[in-house]
Amino acid sequence: MTAEQVLCLRDVRKSFGPVEVLHGVNLDLRAGEVLALIGENGAGKSTTMKILAGYQPATSGRILLEGEEVTFGSLHDGEEAGIVMIHQEFNLAEQLTVEQNIFLGRELRRGPFLDKRKMRELTRGYLDRVNCRVDPDTKVSALSNSDKQMVEIAKALSRDARVLIMDEPTAVLTGSETEVLFDQVRRMTAQGTAVLFTSHKLGEVAEIADHVTVLRDGSVVHDDRASEITEDGMATAMVGRDVSDLYPAKVGRPGEVMLSVRGLTVPGHARNVGFELRQGEILGVAGLIGAGRTEAFEGLCGLRPASAERIEIAGREVTIKKPRDALDHGLCYLTEDRKLRGLLLDKTMRVNLTLQALDRFGGWMIDRAAEDRALDKAIDEFDIRAGRRTMAVGNLSGGNQQKLLLAKIMQSEPAILIADEPTRGIDIGTKQQIYAFLRDLAAKGHAVVVISSEMQEVIGLADRVLVMRTGEVAGTLTGDELTEDAIVRLAVGLGANDKEKVA
Amino acid sequence: MSYMKTTLLGCTMLALSGAAWAQDDTTVIGVSIPAATHGWAGGMNFHAQETIERLEETYPQLDFVLAAASDAGAQVNDIEDMVATRGIDALVVLPFESDPLTPPIQSVAEAGTWVTVVDRGLSVEGVEDLYVAGDNPGFGRVSGEYMVEKMPDGGDIVVLRGIPTTIDNERVDGFESAIEGSGINIIDMEHGNWNRDDSFNVMQDFLQKHDQIDAVWASDDDMAVGVLAAIEAAGREDIQFVLGGAGMKEMVKRVMDGDEMIPADVTYPPSMIATAIEMTAVGMVSNAPVSGTFTIGSVLITPENAEQFYYPDSPF
Amino acid sequence: MTAETTNTRARRSLPSMSVLGPIVALVVLVAIGAMMNSNFLGAANITNVLARSAFIGIIAVGMTFVITAGGLDLSVGSMAAFIAGLMILVMNAALPSMGVGVPIILLGMLVAVVAGILAGLLNGFLITTVGIEAFIVTLGTMGIYRSLVTWLADGGTLSLDFGLRTFYRPVYFEGILGISWPIIVFAIVVIVGELLMSRARFGRHCAAIGSNEAVAHYSNVDVNRTRLLTYAMLGLLVGVATIMYVPRLGSASASTGLLWELEAIAAVIIGGTVLKGGFGRVWGTVIGVLILSLIDNILNLTDLVSPYLNGAIQGVIIILAVILQREAKAKG
Repeated sequence: MTAEQVLCLRDVRKSFGPVEVLHGVNLDLRAGEVLALIGENGAGKSTTMKILAGYQPATSGRILLEGEEVTFGSLHDGEEAGIVMIHQEFNLAEQLTVEQNIFLGRELRRGPFLDKRKMRELTRGYLDRVNCRVDPDTKVSALSNSDKQMVEIAKALSRDARVLIMDEPTAVLTGSETEVLFDQVRRMTAQGTAVLFTSHKLGEVAEIADHVTVLRDGSVVHDDRASEITEDGMATAMVGRDVSDLYPAKVGRPGEVMLSVRGLTVPGHARNVGFELRQGEILGVAGLIGAGRTEAFEGLCGLRPASAERIEIAGREVTIKKPRDALDHGLCYLTEDRKLRGLLLDKTMRVNLTLQALDRFGGWMIDRAAEDRALDKAIDEFDIRAGRRTMAVGNLSGGNQQKLLLAKIMQSEPAILIADEPTRGIDIGTKQQIYAFLRDLAAKGHAVVVISSEMQEVIGLADRVLVMRTGEVAGTLTGDELTEDAIVRLAVGLGANDKEKVA
Repeated sequence: MSYMKTTLLGCTMLALSGAAWAQDDTTVIGVSIPAATHGWAGGMNFHAQETIERLEETYPQLDFVLAAASDAGAQVNDIEDMVATRGIDALVVLPFESDPLTPPIQSVAEAGTWVTVVDRGLSVEGVEDLYVAGDNPGFGRVSGEYMVEKMPDGGDIVVLRGIPTTIDNERVDGFESAIEGSGINIIDMEHGNWNRDDSFNVMQDFLQKHDQIDAVWASDDDMAVGVLAAIEAAGREDIQFVLGGAGMKEMVKRVMDGDEMIPADVTYPPSMIATAIEMTAVGMVSNAPVSGTFTIGSVLITPENAEQFYYPDSPF
Repeated sequence: MTAETTNTRARRSLPSMSVLGPIVALVVLVAIGAMMNSNFLGAANITNVLARSAFIGIIAVGMTFVITAGGLDLSVGSMAAFIAGLMILVMNAALPSMGVGVPIILLGMLVAVVAGILAGLLNGFLITTVGIEAFIVTLGTMGIYRSLVTWLADGGTLSLDFGLRTFYRPVYFEGILGISWPIIVFAIVVIVGELLMSRARFGRHCAAIGSNEAVAHYSNVDVNRTRLLTYAMLGLLVGVATIMYVPRLGSASASTGLLWELEAIAAVIIGGTVLKGGFGRVWGTVIGVLILSLIDNILNLTDLVSPYLNGAIQGVIIILAVILQREAKAKG
């Protein structure tokens, strides 16, 4: 099946200053098809998408819209041509309602007044199509990330897009939400819309894509029908090397109990959470979005108000009221949100690296030489790739940001590391590096907690998995019990073994 | 309300606040003035408060409402509130600025309320019943004449002006015409905004710019304070004297004590508000004719007459 | 890699416009001043300009920290007036018992510093602990201090006892080696401030908080405490500025320190500190303060424009100084 080509890139190049980031990219979006554009972070996916949507001009090369060469002067031209892009960072006005957002810039009017009733009705319709049950009058700021994603998609639906470009739409969605999204994508393609999407979840790519284009270092290294490539093949093409052994071997032999928590309660989010964590162990924490995993561990580390019956670290009872206390006891939390809570995007790598452990770099005065040495070491140890050391961290690719964040947390040499979604939104090559690092850390006698929404990751990496549901511990799984099925059952509130109740 | 209750209420009120609330036989006089944001205005506020206290004692049938506004807009609001909530019978107003205050005062006058305007005239003539006017051109003229008298052979002087307003322009015009042809040259003129700090800075720069300055017309006593400090700091001997204005008590004291740098002062008395309130009060309680224009001239204060202009209790 | 290395070297040879912008503006102003009047570069004029910049300058250094940490303080001008009034009242009251001498001056200074710190802590407490917008809190305290000083002075002027004033006067007008005290104190404050901002943990924490409060919180920075400290420090510096101010004219009134807050904020922004926080530089603030005082000085020394237009000239230069930096950002 070769459908009509709607939007094509021909030998497109793009340079930022002296650095060329796209080296002659060819790409074809066909009506009624889903094109998956995959590649490691920094491979040039975002730039390619922005050129397609008219956000950025190409340095050279041609853009063909239905065979005719076009130049998009601005985003508006792109939208006029029926090309809609959904960003990874949402493009919604937080203080406006869902309905106001969906009709932002093209409000319906009846006479001189806004036709609120009509807009609300239509909004309701779009939201129904994506199975999203939020009220059109809710403020966007009150929505969860997945609801925001759905609103973005509803907005795209409302624009009758001919071409829909989605930058990692599933990164913040749960499995069932992803299914809803894919149903919509299928419905749109059936009506002839061309869809381009990116994802680091190769399973999803295999499921939805008709065609797969792989970018590596700004060049297309693979371009073929989806049926012609396996998930392993995709990963290999992206990374340029074999990544079948994504997860390191679970060699750890758990030692002494390092951390023991009893009766941890975070008002509004978690109740009576208790667990033990041993030296040399990686404890996975699974659960649905909203299960209170992040909040529980933030509470444990003094980042939000919490109370606990008893917390023991290395056998001694401790009280943790503020982040400083946690750090003093060697307990360190790596946030899931590297952009809003992890890194100062407008500052350099050096400033970011040492921020948390600034007291280790001189007294009142900061020892800049020591900072530079630490940065050298971190760049080397974590394989952080940045053009210039002085560039703002916001300009690094997601994977390199994540590695820097990890390096930053490690500056305070925690005995216990709690890593929240340590591989969210980063490419498979970097994931492999981070997994190896975490396992290595455990092997050196530290204790590690990995909170993750990716089932594969928890199963592949952790020695033991704690599953949370609605703010409470639903169960713990070890060894052979560790299956996706078992985690899901605990996460949704079914016992691990009573399958009868499912039917 | 029953007869009994009314009487009772009336008695209580009477006991509480003299005659204040019994609308029939009480006359309410509203006084609206700019807030005490600089020395002269501070003195004016002081005199207003003091006069009101005194008059309330003397005339129990009079009730006063005093409001000090921080800008012209606030003053309009004050006047509107006085009319709406206190039902004033007379308004004594020292307008912040003439133009914006003219329409609201005009409508108060049209409603039959007695209007006394102080210091600054309104933009439209014939609105007020009584105009107690400061004499700004006269202030400049008296100052100029003194300069001419003090420097018969002429000389080079610098001038510090106030905040750019009509008042300032009238004073400077009066001063310039008084010294015309006398041989006195104004070699520099800048705005010191009736402010000590600003005039200090301006004077410092004048001293840098000009090697010979014979005298300074600071045109205001607050500015004279800054000017004197700058001269003292620079250690310059060429300046013979500084002439301020308005009659601040410290300056009057220096004139009285025969200070050579401050040989004289020119009045622009903040107590003109007291005159206005008093005349209005008299007009309200008696049949004495008080309408018309009453100009308070600017007088030269010299060591001989300084005593009678010295009010040690006033903040100004 | 080659391209990147050259790039770095090119940068090193010529600092970016964001650094050069304020310096260029200052140099141009000095050149204009020197051309217009031969006394401009004389020691006396330079002393005058530096000494009168000192009040706003000392305050602006503190303001740099507050703004860098994402805050704002509108109350500094009236806080200065209030502290000056308080100082004068206390010193006048203590005069009969203490007599003229060093102890009474020290008492006045102590009052100024303590009152400044307390006023700063009050702002900081309301902003951090109670959690009210900095703009609203300091707008409120601005009005409070301004009317308190008016009230203390009965609408008029509070004047320091004449004998005391004569004794205290040298603190503004004299100094060591011909450099007057305000300039010396200003210089010390600037040096300490610059070190604190660019080299110390405190400055780094301020920038981190202004850049992203959440990141700072997650990075073990005590956000509230650091913010509180910036306001307390600003209060302290207002106190220090007042100690220099009072001996100059020996008086305080409702018009003392009028609009100082805006001048201080303008100086901070001209110097390249970002108004919404996250980046600040103390040396830039100094240049901003000097630019502002030089404009006034030059306009007074020349007859180039009508004095009615002084404000307009000032406005144009402030905007130009900031545009110079912005263009640099777009290019860099």
